Amino acid sequence: MKICAILRLVPDLVEEIEVEENEIIPFRYMPNERDEHAVEEAIILKEKTGAEVEVIGIADSENEADLDEGLGMAAAKGADKLYKVVLDRPTYKRCEIAKALADFLSDKNYDLILTGIQAIDSYAGNLGGILARYMDLPYIGGVVEVNVSNGNTIVKKELGGGLLAEYKLPLPAVVSVVSAERPLKFVPFTKLRQAMKKANIEEVELELPEIEGVEVLKYEVPPEPEITLIEGDVEEVADKLIEALKELSIL
Amino acid sequence: MLETYFERINEIPNSDKFIQCIQCGTCGGSCPYGMGTLFTPRRMILAVRAGIVDEVLQSGAQWLCTSCFTCSLRCPSQIPITDAVIPALRELSLLEGNPPEELAAALMNITRYGNSFRESPRKRDRWIKEVDFEVPLISKKKKAEYLFITECFGAYHRRCKEITKAFAKLMDLLGTDYAILGNEERCIGDLVRLCGEFGLFEDLAEKNIRVFEKYEFSKIVTHDAHAYNALLREYPRFGFKKEVVHHTQFLYNNLEKLKEMFGKLDYTVTYHDSCYVGRRNGIYEEPRAVIKAIPGVKFVEMKRIKENALCCGGGGGGVWLDSFIKDHIKERPAESRVKEAASVGADVLVTACTLDVPMFEDALKVTGLEGQLEVKDISEIILEAIENS
Repeated sequence: MKICAILRLVPDLVEEIEVEENEIIPFRYMPNERDEHAVEEAIILKEKTGAEVEVIGIADSENEADLDEGLGMAAAKGADKLYKVVLDRPTYKRCEIAKALADFLSDKNYDLILTGIQAIDSYAGNLGGILARYMDLPYIGGVVEVNVSNGNTIVKKELGGGLLAEYKLPLPAVVSVVSAERPLKFVPFTKLRQAMKKANIEEVELELPEIEGVEVLKYEVPPEPEITLIEGDVEEVADKLIEALKELSIL
Repeated sequence: MLETYFERINEIPNSDKFIQCIQCGTCGGSCPYGMGTLFTPRRMILAVRAGIVDEVLQSGAQWLCTSCFTCSLRCPSQIPITDAVIPALRELSLLEGNPPEELAAALMNITRYGNSFRESPRKRDRWIKEVDFEVPLISKKKKAEYLFITECFGAYHRRCKEITKAFAKLMDLLGTDYAILGNEERCIGDLVRLCGEFGLFEDLAEKNIRVFEKYEFSKIVTHDAHAYNALLREYPRFGFKKEVVHHTQFLYNNLEKLKEMFGKLDYTVTYHDSCYVGRRNGIYEEPRAVIKAIPGVKFVEMKRIKENALCCGGGGGGVWLDSFIKDHIKERPAESRVKEAASVGADVLVTACTLDVPMFEDALKVTGLEGQLEVKDISEIILEAIENS
C-alpha cells in the first residue's frame, strides 16, 4: 500500500504581511497546519499497516526554502520519500495547483492521497476536493481518523455538534484531514537537522496550466474594528452598555 | 534507550557520580513535587539501574520537576540530578515525540522564532518604544561596558516587560554605559537545556555567541535568572568567556549611588530567593542588602529562605507545564509561597527572577491574596523608591 500526503506552505502570520492592491507579500511561509495533520495521519497509517508514505511538498521559486523544515519534519517522523514540487509561478488559484498536481500524481499509483482540510490562504477544503475531481477519485473531507481494510478506507468524519460518522470509500481515494488521531509528534532539534541532512528529496518542477475562473480584483486590509472603552463605576458602565446594545438593536 | 540516556549523561560534568547514589532519599524528601510523583529522583535512578526507564517515562515523572536544584544541592553524593539525571530522561521523552503539548509548542516556537511566545523576532525590541528614555542598541553604539540581555520573558511577556523597563530605567539613571542586542537577541536557552532539548540549546548558544562576538562589551548584565545561569555556567564550554552579572549584583555594586536617590517607602517587604539566583548561584546577601537600604522598608524573612527557599514552579520548563502539573498536585509551589509571604505579614513580595513575577501574581489570584500582597521585582521596588524621593 502506498500513501501520499500533500504539504502546502502558507504565510506565517507571526510576521506582518504586506498587502498591496494586486499582491500579498508575506515575510515568510510555514507549513500549513492541517497538512501537517495529514502527514501525521499518513505516518499513523504506516504504523498501523506498514504502508509506504510519500510526502509531496508544494512551493514556488519564491518560497521553496521555507518547505525544507516541513519536509525534514516528515522525514524525521518516518516518511519514506519526499518530493519538493516547485511550481513555475506563484498562483492563488487552487484549480491550477490541483490540475498540475493531478497530472503529476497520475502515474504514482497511490492508494490514498491525504491533504489538510483547509489552509489559511484559501477556502476550506478546496485542494482535496478539486484534486479528487481532476483525478476522478472518490473524496471525503472533515476526517479525524483513517483506517484501511479490504481495499477500502474507513474514515471517521466530523459532522458537527460533537457527532462523528463512519464512512467507507473504495481505494484509491482522496481524504482531507481536519486533525490526526494524535497530537502532532514532537521532533527534537537534532533529529530534525539530521533528517534534513539525510532526507531523500526529489525536486520536481511543475508547469501550471492557465485556468480561467475566479479573478482577484484587488486585495485590501479589512478596516480596523471600532473599539469604544466604556468607563465609570459599575452602574454607569452597565447603563452605557445597555444603551449601546439598544442602539445596535441587540436588546 | 538506556544507551542514549547514558551517552547524554556522560557528556554532562560530574555525571560519573551517578553510580554513587546511595538511595538515601534526601532528593525525594526535598522535592516540591515529591508527594505528587511515583518516581522521585531516587526512584528514577533506581529505575534506570533496573533498566525500566519506560515506566518512568510513562508515569510523566520526568516532567514533574521544576529544576529548583534543591535535590542536587542536598545530595550527599553530589549527583547532578537537575542538570543531568532529569534532563536526560526528558530528552528520551522528546525523542519519543510526546512531551506535554504546551511544552512542545514552546520548544517549537523557540526553534522557529527564537522565543517561546510565537512572536516575531523582529518585535523583540518593541519595549524600547514604550519608555520615556533612550535605550541604546549595540548595533548603533558598537561598544558598551554592559550588554543587557532581556531574554524572552523580559522582551515579550506583558508583565515581565515592566521589569525590563524598570531595570533599564535604573541603568539610565545611574548613567551606566550599556546597550541591548535588540532584535539580534534570541532565547539564551537555559529552560530549553533543562527540558532536555540539548540539540536546540547548543544551536542557540552557538548562534548567540556569534552575535556577541560582533560587538565590543566587557560584561553581560541580565535580570533573567536562567539567562544568568546559562551564560555563567553553560556558555563557557561553547567558547564564551565574558563576565556575567545578575541585576541583583549590579544593583548592590551601585548601592551607594542608589542610596543618594532613594525616597521613603512604607512597605513590609519579604524577599523570595529565586532558585537560579540563590540556591544555584549563591547570591543571597546582595538583594537583601539592597532592599534593606530603602528608607522606611521593614524587612521580614519567610520561613524557607536562602538554600531552603521554595521554588516558584516556573523553572525547568515549569512555566510551560502548568496544566500538566495541575493534574498531579493539589497546590502549586507558587501558591504555597505567596501564602508563606502573607503569613509573615509582608505586603510586598520582592523577587529577582522574571519568571517569579507572573507565577506569583497568578498564585495571588488563585489563593485570594490579591489586594493583600503585591509582587515586585527588585528593580521595580528600587525604581519606586527613587521616584518617591
